[in-house]
Amino acid sequence: MTAQRPPEGAADKLELESLRGRSVGQSTIVIERGPVEAFAAAVFDENPLYRDPAAASAAGLPGIPVPATFPLAFETWGRRDELQPEGAERFALNEFLDPLVARGALVLHGEQGFDYHAPVFVGQVLDGRSTIVDVYSRESKGRRMDFVVLETAWRDRTTAEPVVTTRMTVIVRF
Amino acid sequence: MGEGKLIFDQLAAGDRAPERRHVLTRTDIVRYAGVSGDMNPMHHDEIQAVAAGQPSVFGHGMLSMGLLGAAVTDFVGVGNLTHYSVRFVRQTWPGEELVTRVVVAGTRVEGRRRYVDLDVALANSAGEDKVVGRATAEVPAAG
Repeated sequence: MTAQRPPEGAADKLELESLRGRSVGQSTIVIERGPVEAFAAAVFDENPLYRDPAAASAAGLPGIPVPATFPLAFETWGRRDELQPEGAERFALNEFLDPLVARGALVLHGEQGFDYHAPVFVGQVLDGRSTIVDVYSRESKGRRMDFVVLETAWRDRTTAEPVVTTRMTVIVRF
Repeated sequence: MGEGKLIFDQLAAGDRAPERRHVLTRTDIVRYAGVSGDMNPMHHDEIQAVAAGQPSVFGHGMLSMGLLGAAVTDFVGVGNLTHYSVRFVRQTWPGEELVTRVVVAGTRVEGRRRYVDLDVALANSAGEDKVVGRATAEVPAAG
């Protein structure tokens, strides 16, 4: 490597910078009962509220609620084709990250946050919009790490009221 | 709208929620992969994980956050959480016992709403933190 060459990873950094502010598309999902129960079991949560409508009703809830971290699985289960708005843009973050991985980058889930504005219940239909809200770099022990922050805002489709916002920080390390 | 579990006036900084303990198995990790849709082979394919320099498959960060989340919502009552965030500090490995830590950091009143802030973490039984974060819940007014 000569001194004239750009520092290693410079091209990748530019690609990541281009993500800032980018819309990552939209999804409409429905909260289905089976996945909620299966998800609760997978995180070792035995609470009957996630399984039994009578228990939820007895607790004063209008329906079966969802576990705290279930919003990250919304699109895995409830993104039915017939619900999607016409012409909805869909863009997977992985389309950017996979080529970086192929060039030897380590991609890690660094941080995860949830802001809950209103409880979510089985049967509810939600609209989600995702945006890359931040991209930044940090040096640690002489190595550069890039951070990509993806925010998804979910709203009730009927009322348009916000219900939950998820915030995922992905770390890309060469 | 949430479950009434906490009484605001009885909450004090340093109060601890009951611990949850779980010994992580490969089966747990595979089940979480299927339910979450995260099919990264590092979590279910031991041959690929070892080839990539890992000692074995390892748990999803979100599995740790989910287990810790169950301890948090058990304490504050389902439907009351307003914020929950963590940093993923270390990987989790099959055979490790994972232990939740949910501690009251403080309480506050904003207008007519009352909140409790929590310091939360999941560690192994040797005390190494796996995820560390914060949670906030609204405390429904007592009766």
